[in-house]
Amino acid sequence: MKTHTQSFILLVCCSILVLRSAVVVSENILGVAPKDEEYYKVLSSSGTIKCRDGSNSFTKAQLNDDFCDCTDGTDEPGTSACPSGKFYCRNAGHSPLSVFSSRVNDGICDCCDGSDEYDGKVKCTNTCWEAGKVARDRLRKKIATFREGLTIRKHEVEKAKLSAAKDEEELSRLKNEENILKGLVHQLKDRKEQIEKAEEKERIEKENEEKKKKEAEEAKLKEQKSEENVVEQESAGSKSDDEAGAHDHSPSDEEYYKVLSSSGTIKCRDGSNSFTKAQINDDFCDCTDGTDEPGTSACPFGKFYCRNSGHSPLSVFSSRVNDGICDCCDGSDEYEGKVKCTNTCWEAGKDLNKAHTDTEATVTHNDDERDASIDNIEEEHAEENDGPSKVAHEHDPKESSNAAHEHDHSHAPGSKEEDASEDADSLSREELGRVIGERWTGKKTEEQHEDAGTARHNDNGDDDNDDDNEYDDTSDNGHDEEYGGYDTETEEDHHKYEDDDHMNDVGDDHSSDSHKYESDDEIDMSDMESTSNPSWLEKIQQTVRKFLDAVNPFQTPVDTSESENVRKEYDDASGKLSKIQSRISSLTKKLGHDFGPEKEFYSLYGQCFEIKENKYVYKVCPFKEATQEEGHSRTRLGQWDKFDESHRVMVFSNGDKCWNGPQRSLTVRLRCGSKVELADIDEPSRCEYSALLTTPSLCQEGRLKELEDKLEAVNKDQPQGHDEL
Amino acid sequence: MKSIVVLHHLLLFFFLLFSHVSSWKKEEFRNCNQTPFCKRARSRKPQHCNLIATDVTINDGDLVAKLITPNRFEQNPDQNSTDFQPNPLILSLSVYQDGILRFKIDEDPVYNPPKKRFQVPDVVVSEFESKKLWLQRYTKGVIDGESFFVYLFDGYEAVVRSDPFEVFVREQSSGKRVVSFNTHGLFDFEQLRVKKEGDEWEERFRTHTDSRPFGPQSISFDVSFYGADFVYGIPEHATSLVLKPTKGPGVEESEPYRLFNLDVFEYLHESPFGLYGSIPFMLSHGKSHGTSGFFWLNAAEMQIDVLGTGWDAESSIVLPSDQKRIDTLWMSEAGIVDAFFFIGPKPKDVVKQYASVTGTSAMPQLFATGYHQCRWNYRDEEDVKNVDSKFDEHDIPYDVLWLDIEHTDGKRYFTWDRALFPHPEEMQKDLFSRGRRMVTIVDPHIKRDDNYHIHKEASKNGYYVKDASGKDFDGWCWPGSSSYIDMVNPEIRSWWADKFAYSEYVGSTPSLYIWNDMNEPSVFNGPEVTMPRDALHYGKVEHRELHNAYGYYFHMATSEGLLKREGGKDRPFVLSRAFFPGTQRYGTVWTGDNIAEWEHLRVSVPMILTLGLTGITFSGADVGGFFGNPDTELLVRWYQVAAYLPFFRGHAHHDTKRREPWLFGERNTELMRDAIRVRYTYLPYFYTLFREANVTGVPVARPLWMEFPYVEATFNNDEAFMVGTGLLVQGVYAQRARDATVYLPSDHTWYDLRSGTAYKGGKTQKVEVTDADIPVFQRSGTIIPRKDRFRRSTVQMENDPYTLVIAVDGSGSAEGELYIDDGKSYEFKEGAYIHRRFIFSNGMLTSVNLAPSTSKFESDCTIERIILLGHTTKSKTARIEPSNQVTDIELGPLQIRSGVRSSVLTIRKPNVRVSDDWNIKLL
Repeated sequence: MKTHTQSFILLVCCSILVLRSAVVVSENILGVAPKDEEYYKVLSSSGTIKCRDGSNSFTKAQLNDDFCDCTDGTDEPGTSACPSGKFYCRNAGHSPLSVFSSRVNDGICDCCDGSDEYDGKVKCTNTCWEAGKVARDRLRKKIATFREGLTIRKHEVEKAKLSAAKDEEELSRLKNEENILKGLVHQLKDRKEQIEKAEEKERIEKENEEKKKKEAEEAKLKEQKSEENVVEQESAGSKSDDEAGAHDHSPSDEEYYKVLSSSGTIKCRDGSNSFTKAQINDDFCDCTDGTDEPGTSACPFGKFYCRNSGHSPLSVFSSRVNDGICDCCDGSDEYEGKVKCTNTCWEAGKDLNKAHTDTEATVTHNDDERDASIDNIEEEHAEENDGPSKVAHEHDPKESSNAAHEHDHSHAPGSKEEDASEDADSLSREELGRVIGERWTGKKTEEQHEDAGTARHNDNGDDDNDDDNEYDDTSDNGHDEEYGGYDTETEEDHHKYEDDDHMNDVGDDHSSDSHKYESDDEIDMSDMESTSNPSWLEKIQQTVRKFLDAVNPFQTPVDTSESENVRKEYDDASGKLSKIQSRISSLTKKLGHDFGPEKEFYSLYGQCFEIKENKYVYKVCPFKEATQEEGHSRTRLGQWDKFDESHRVMVFSNGDKCWNGPQRSLTVRLRCGSKVELADIDEPSRCEYSALLTTPSLCQEGRLKELEDKLEAVNKDQPQGHDEL
Repeated sequence: MKSIVVLHHLLLFFFLLFSHVSSWKKEEFRNCNQTPFCKRARSRKPQHCNLIATDVTINDGDLVAKLITPNRFEQNPDQNSTDFQPNPLILSLSVYQDGILRFKIDEDPVYNPPKKRFQVPDVVVSEFESKKLWLQRYTKGVIDGESFFVYLFDGYEAVVRSDPFEVFVREQSSGKRVVSFNTHGLFDFEQLRVKKEGDEWEERFRTHTDSRPFGPQSISFDVSFYGADFVYGIPEHATSLVLKPTKGPGVEESEPYRLFNLDVFEYLHESPFGLYGSIPFMLSHGKSHGTSGFFWLNAAEMQIDVLGTGWDAESSIVLPSDQKRIDTLWMSEAGIVDAFFFIGPKPKDVVKQYASVTGTSAMPQLFATGYHQCRWNYRDEEDVKNVDSKFDEHDIPYDVLWLDIEHTDGKRYFTWDRALFPHPEEMQKDLFSRGRRMVTIVDPHIKRDDNYHIHKEASKNGYYVKDASGKDFDGWCWPGSSSYIDMVNPEIRSWWADKFAYSEYVGSTPSLYIWNDMNEPSVFNGPEVTMPRDALHYGKVEHRELHNAYGYYFHMATSEGLLKREGGKDRPFVLSRAFFPGTQRYGTVWTGDNIAEWEHLRVSVPMILTLGLTGITFSGADVGGFFGNPDTELLVRWYQVAAYLPFFRGHAHHDTKRREPWLFGERNTELMRDAIRVRYTYLPYFYTLFREANVTGVPVARPLWMEFPYVEATFNNDEAFMVGTGLLVQGVYAQRARDATVYLPSDHTWYDLRSGTAYKGGKTQKVEVTDADIPVFQRSGTIIPRKDRFRRSTVQMENDPYTLVIAVDGSGSAEGELYIDDGKSYEFKEGAYIHRRFIFSNGMLTSVNLAPSTSKFESDCTIERIILLGHTTKSKTARIEPSNQVTDIELGPLQIRSGVRSSVLTIRKPNVRVSDDWNIKLL
């Protein structure tokens, strides 16, 4: 049955094998792994054997006869005849390897022992010993890393447990405090309202009295008023005299009242009523919202506008008008003559400017430090945490606003794209070229725009400056060169930018209005509560008790300084309450995260890691977000989404949208390392980023054991293996 | 200012809303009505032409005549003297071997026209002239007027009728017409003249002004095909294989088919608008006559109407009514009439006749027929390494990795972005160590940067195309401000070719090949995204006169460069997007920036078949679709269909997600790997077919009617196609298809290559479809060579043994061929190749040598397996002669794939050498 040629070929093959390497003893079947040898043993006894997939059966002569009898390649472990077969190289001195049958005798040395190339067409040198050494060294290094990492990991897991416990404790304490404080605030509120009611009553009484007096002594009163005006003028310096009583509309509202001069009657803003010219500031409340009484205390919901020339204008509650306390620095709220207010606007203004500059400087240079103006809760508990070794600092958006504007311009040509179809005719040749080209590229030609220095669309920055900060800050994000993001006119985007603002505020200023990323402040916040805990809460409690005991709301006249204290205390307490609540929500949010089965990722919370790649700085903040920064512009690659692949991958999704593409996203592959380090970042598809982060959290005991076993196995193999060579 | 910003944002908003509804910017391209010459020509009524042919003589083996307007001839004294009096035109008509009639109509130089009209050089192959039959005489006769007859081909004659002037070909015996010119009197030839006071020659389109210094110079005429059921050809349009009527009663009025090479962003399928390339060659096919063809060698903008039956009802022309006829109207902005009639009568005859004029396709290197992996962009060396290693990791074969524009230093071609590609030579060598090549992109726009060597030389030497004012034309493309090499000039082509020398193209190695993109040319800020028509080329030729050939000359120059760098020993591989008749001699084309949609997969088949019919067989479409993200099923189907099309490359826009075959889960990886492997399995067959195309011009992928010209049901089938004579491939173009309707032509038996199941031909079959593959059938009577082993690339397959699949017909016989050469050099031209014909009959397979006996090419490859489909035998063995060995016959799989169960007769290990004569007899 067998032809001579075939036997000859087999013979040649065998002899080559025998010559080439003594490893292959005659019993060994070419390309079969030791663990599979058992399967073929039957051949020597029964003479025929089934393919593993049952597709066929074959004889001993058909084994490795370079003809595929089994579709799964069972009969051809040592040749390329079956496409789905595997060839086993022993690779003595290194580790064994199974290669695709397509590699057998293809002219390329795939096995370090060269056993896959036996037809004599190429000569493969045995590189196993050397390659093995390298591999073993690598393995040893890896084991060392794992050991080191494992120690750190253990430590961190311990720490995480403590921190988590602490956080939980804090949370429950805060919740408790919240309850107490809520009660207090409630009481204070009641008290405040009682006082206000009493005040109002008192005022109305007074009013009636005064009205009578007024009627009686109208002339005298007039005289008095004009006198006051003089005083006012003297103190304010620059203010021109408005129609009596109307000076206290804020400039922006003045328009509203203009109608009066023509029509004679006007609606309250809330539509509750209407009033005539004579009824303005006649010290009688006609509109429930106070429209008719901008300059008196008659309406409880009104606001009084002080110009405060030399400082900044201010709207105070109507309750402050003529209450004997100087609320406006220009003293305009106290025109009744009961108290004399000196104009302090100029000086106060100076201080403000100074303070403003100071703050800015602080933020710019030391943005991790807390803002001095922050609530005293924090002041009292501020305490440095033993921070992470490498905490990335957020950017200051102010720093970047200029650059961001510039960047906006660079978008502009791209966003022209849409005009291209409608309006290509109005473009210059060069612009037209860019616009058309961008169809294919989306963003790519952008750089060229920058190169070419197109200075169009300055209007965005310059003219919108007064618009609001929002615009400035958005350009920060707008960096991503995509016009979807750039378009602030759409609803969604608008919101988006609001969010971003918060984010920037939090990250950069540590201002307290953030709810979302309060977690960032966590490092500063944690522990602080415990240290001096009883004092402040008790203090408040005591104060409140004092008030409740001391002030009799039904007493008239109301003790103004007492009622003011109640108000202040109320404001303080409710401020503290909201602070605590936001802290509670951030803690709840934090504790809601998945930190791994052993909370091994706990310490990564609130930390950021960065890497510089060409002109970009990539920043990954686990549980928060990932960004790409170029100069001062910032693109969000994604918000924290989840862990994937059993905590081996971090997923950040829903980043800034790409022009003509998806929303950006980032997957971070985690690998064992003794330090937390961002090792690699890449953008395999446009706007889909991938990075590598080493962390001790991934240095697991089981895996270390595997590696050690592997090394041991390889080492055990060594002396023998080497001898054979 | 603020309001402008707001408006701006609003516009942007709307743009974003609608950008995906219609990205194709229709208004950016001219339609016929906005194109004065087209509008004029289209509005002419039949019998507009009043020319008559006079002074008929034989001169230099050509029939020559003057075409004059009769009033001049009659010298009518009453003729209004202010009327423009056209000069006579010169007609010269020549006859070539194998049934080709060529005639030219141009202005007569004796009247000193202001400018010589442009004739396209370097398209007609030089050998063609040697096929000219020198006419000695004509005969005079009368067919509806005085006519002059010349012999054309056995049984065919060419006729020039004098009045009214007409040229046609007819069967000598029956008098039946084949093709005719000016039968409807729509011929019009705007002669060049000197601009007179008050002439408005400028043309405006959007912001662009065309100065048109030479005024109107267009040509239009009608061509009729007789015995025609359908017409085909005139690529490139994303339309059905059959050209639908554009005008006529009951026809939805559409634009004419436009031939104007354009870079069209997100083109639509089913649109007659012009795309990247132009071939003014139309074929007609019908049951009664068979096939004929018409080719107009003209590189200016062309518009072609296919006229629906009855379009001329109002005219009084009476034509032979017994012949089914398709009339067409051809319009061009400039140039001359240089027209060819191909008489057929079989489909393959016509493509051969066309190929004898413009050349057959170049023999590709073997590697180029494998799978190509491209993306805009593989970013850096690490990316390249990674992608390459993933192919190995998943055991997927591929041959070429491509680098798009981002690999360059600022879009300066012939340079590398050294930050991303610091070691280009090492990278290429590393790839090549596993048998893989690399392709980089080189476009014709040159960055205007004084530090860029190409720009320096080109501007210094005056090698750029000039604008109307004579300055270097400056347009906008990838690099920004750019100029365009004037490739029409042979000297400049030669200079360009030298740029590919390894010393000039730093970082290139012998395993690096080239991709020419944007060569329509694409000019982002030009009219219709291309070059202004009044730009000037070498020899004062206006761009309008050669626009459609610009990319062709660029392709030619690049191809010459690759040839030069290896001393003419290595076959070039250059992919081009723009094309023109003759492109097949220089390289490969693809269908440009398609979209990841099912409709684009579907239309890719007729587009590629049309290219094959018109000479360019080595073509393909971007697998997966360039723009957008294909869903996984579409991507898998695309691989399955494209594996059977000549040029097989995956490509994607940079905004798309990565889509290399291993990114869609194990099952889909397996499916795409199988599709690619199928391609590699059939490479011996493909390569043999490429050789056939190289010799004869018959395409690799063919419409069914090319193989079955008498089977009417095939005439408008463009969902299925033939690979050679042996394989019928039915594409699957719909989501979640469970079955496919396949028309299997003729009385052949067809073997489903998935199961070996035999289907009866001559009817429509419904076959089951799974996600695993698309229906492919081997036709009975054929023998197809395969290599059933898988390797990393074609290089490692070189020594692998063959499998022959024999599908016997009703009489128990079958035939097939196998062509092998070194796969890279030109030694095959010296006869260094193996070419076998396998004949199976009476239970015996014989290998017959078709190569010269002196062939120096050798191969140790053997045949490891012979599969017999449709043969019934009880024999268990076969005897091999002359070695007199006996080998086993057993049942085996049709394809070695796990899980595929099929049992077909298999001759086991005959192990005969492919290069030897032998026969194998079933015992």
